[in-house]
Amino acid sequence: MEATEEQLILATGGYDHTIKVWQAHTGNCIKTMRFVETSQVNALDRTPDKTRLAACGYQCIRLYDLESNCTAPVINFDGVQKNVTRLGFQEDGNWMFTAGEDHRVRIWDMISAPPHCSRVFDCQAPVNAACLHPNQVEIAMGSQNGGVYLWDVKSEVHEQLVPEVDASIQDVAISPDGHYMAAANNKGNCYIWQLSSSPSQHLSTMSPKKKIQAHSRSILRCKFSPDSRLLVTTSGDGTACIWKTEDFTKWRELSIKNYWVWDAAFSADSKWLFTASSDGIARLWKLHTKNCVRDYTGHTKAITALSFKDEIVAD
Amino acid sequence: MATYSNQHWLLSHIRNSFISTDDTGICETVMLSDDMPKRYLWKFQTANTAMEAYRRSHRAAQQRKSQIPKTPDTATPMQRTGPLQHMMPPRIADPPLHEVDFVCYPGLDLSDDEDLDMSTHSFDIQMYPEVGAHRFRSNTAQKLEKLDIAKRKAARIKSINYNEEVLPPDRKDFFKRKVLIEQPIDKPSTSAAAAVRATAINRTELASDDDLSDGGVKSMLSEQMARSPKQTQNRFIEYARFDGTAQVGMPTKRINVYVNMLPEPERNYPLKICVLSTAKIIEVIGLVCYKTTLQYPDAVQLQSVQHYALYMTEDNDDMDDFPPLDNREPCSKFGFSHLTLAERRPLAPVTRIDYHNQLGTKSMTSEEDKAAMADAALNALQNFNLNGDVPDAGGGDSPLDHIKEYEQRLLNHNDMLEAPMHRTYRVSIIDKRFFKCDVTLAVSGERIEIDQHKNTKFWTQRKPLSTPIELVAHCEIVEQRQLKALLRIWLKSNSSSSLPTSCTSAPSTTSITTLIAGNANSSFVHSPASPRYPWMYSSSGFGFFTTISNIRFKHYDFVTDVHTAEQIRNKLNCILEMRASDIRREFLQQRERKQEKQLAKRQLKL
Repeated sequence: MEATEEQLILATGGYDHTIKVWQAHTGNCIKTMRFVETSQVNALDRTPDKTRLAACGYQCIRLYDLESNCTAPVINFDGVQKNVTRLGFQEDGNWMFTAGEDHRVRIWDMISAPPHCSRVFDCQAPVNAACLHPNQVEIAMGSQNGGVYLWDVKSEVHEQLVPEVDASIQDVAISPDGHYMAAANNKGNCYIWQLSSSPSQHLSTMSPKKKIQAHSRSILRCKFSPDSRLLVTTSGDGTACIWKTEDFTKWRELSIKNYWVWDAAFSADSKWLFTASSDGIARLWKLHTKNCVRDYTGHTKAITALSFKDEIVAD
Repeated sequence: MATYSNQHWLLSHIRNSFISTDDTGICETVMLSDDMPKRYLWKFQTANTAMEAYRRSHRAAQQRKSQIPKTPDTATPMQRTGPLQHMMPPRIADPPLHEVDFVCYPGLDLSDDEDLDMSTHSFDIQMYPEVGAHRFRSNTAQKLEKLDIAKRKAARIKSINYNEEVLPPDRKDFFKRKVLIEQPIDKPSTSAAAAVRATAINRTELASDDDLSDGGVKSMLSEQMARSPKQTQNRFIEYARFDGTAQVGMPTKRINVYVNMLPEPERNYPLKICVLSTAKIIEVIGLVCYKTTLQYPDAVQLQSVQHYALYMTEDNDDMDDFPPLDNREPCSKFGFSHLTLAERRPLAPVTRIDYHNQLGTKSMTSEEDKAAMADAALNALQNFNLNGDVPDAGGGDSPLDHIKEYEQRLLNHNDMLEAPMHRTYRVSIIDKRFFKCDVTLAVSGERIEIDQHKNTKFWTQRKPLSTPIELVAHCEIVEQRQLKALLRIWLKSNSSSSLPTSCTSAPSTTSITTLIAGNANSSFVHSPASPRYPWMYSSSGFGFFTTISNIRFKHYDFVTDVHTAEQIRNKLNCILEMRASDIRREFLQQRERKQEKQLAKRQLKL
């Protein structure tokens, strides 16, 4: 096997309580780790140094070492009461955020000796989604009662919006250029806001930009591409749709018939897309041709989360 | 315990224990021919009767002797043994067993032929799969070990309390706002530039639809994908899902598999695999192939999974001479720690075991070539499917034709193995013009039996029929409707007279037309292939016969659903084909001759 730094890794996790690590370009499974026996994997993210993989699920948050052969976690969170729906890292790995159905989004200091909680935000409803703004201090959140929040962790100011009543926000995303925020709900609608900020203010201002009727069924994830020119929405209707952020028109539709598309991730050059679906197969799509070029087969049940960290190479 | 001194009981006990704890799944096929207790029982009984006969004759002789004056030496027991050995019938090869040597255990000698049937083995004994592999440890010992492992693991895992008090960061710069490099500013910042860009996009969209790629950026993934063409996708990837490594809450199995196809140093070391217990053997083979290609990517070019089979193996990687594990069985059935993956060997040793009667063995050897042919055809098929997604358009001589030709001859191994097994079907026999009655049709490698159901009406009551397989000529579906099919079994008539007396169930021709209402003028219309002659038609209302080459055929007709009919037909013809029966050949030849004649006649008419 090649050296680790040369190796591009795709991590997937799902309802079979396992997390699998794949060699991205061959589709070979490198490693399988047991997750918690009672939980699916809700979200996966890798530390910015790529050495660790964080996973969250029902009543658990775990961090795994990707470099050792050990499949046991290196960090385990105790006393988690409910589903932890999202987690993510600050770009230097200094802190991690978690969002859970206990209504709270927590910030974890990962550099002090025992990691500890340094901020808490209460959404007053189960939190389904959270996402870090590229400015590394604002967090967007979406809750089950339909609320969308933007929270500045530094100054602890926040703002709340409810784009649609009686709809649960399933995912939120902020484009890497910081221009747009997207929130997708269980009615298949995706709302876009334009974000703007000035040096004087703490929190970005949100101005409604567009509402996309993206899917016929619940949207499960939305994500912007690294170049901020594409937005992908994955849904329970068996499709992943890719929208151009220029005018938010549909550019591509990838179909996995009769299965839910749970998660998706772009390559660094925004030319490839990984999808995770309920048929237990992760796929790699070439967006230019809309062809599925790789299957990652091995999960015995639905894949609900994936993580892929790519790099830009200089020509 | 008294029973322990009884050899017969001990032999039976050892045998039964072996069968009940066996996890190879094939011990029964191997041991079936070697029922020592039974053999001894048989010998004992023969010897016993022989001895009885001897004793009787001896007593008679003694009585005769007693009439002549006794001499002291003839009465000594020493000398009496002499004639005993001398008079022993020569057909008993083994030394005779005396009653003192071999006492039949009561109950064990009651069994007769039916004991050969595997179904009579006890099913009461439930075994845990662990037995045999290693001894049970006590629950506490296992629990303690688990706790110990958990403790050691936990020591390495850092634990964080989720509900901990919030401790704001000491450092002021812990949360640092990052100023975004406003790259997009030089992109669509001005509306004019955006407009220009939009038109440019529209143009390129039409041309290549690759509007969203900007030339300068290339990701590592793109680079790696460019370097690895599509072919690197593992062919066995579909079997990756049976990997049991790190599966939670699913029973798994660890097996060491020697891969015979690998070159010398590698093949001496087993591949350690962990597979889901639910996986079938074919899927285990796939997983081993998958793992092999991962571990030794350049060592060997593997073919399709059907090409290989798993064989039992000693730890020292000596392959045993047993047939391979059945592809369709779940791997949990077998308890091996070591197996060998090798190219599937010709079928001959497999079939020999299953046909323990002489006839079967004989005919199977003649089938060997056919089996090899079937294998070749199978390979041809697979290679064709795998190598060429699109068949060579240029090649006029398409391999498809050959494959079709082979396919016809291709008898599925499994079908062949299963065919001689006893099976019963519920069908209706068409009988005496228009009566239909429900019967049980039993087909096995030895005979076919027709037995009426108990609840049928009194006027159709008849004796069960049993026909040895030697007399069965052919089986065919003469008519097929959407749900029902008319199945015909041809047999050699064993009656010598032209008016049959024995074939009580033989249907009349008119009965054939029951399915084809209103079309009763000629049986040729709907069964043109049956070797019958109108002028031989017997008006008795029973079957009728062909007399060419002195073999007469009669037939039974059954009505059943299409699926069952096909099953019976395939099974029966498979048995017949494997036996290479003369009757069948004769029947088919007769039919051919008749067809030729008919054709000639029709041409004459024209």
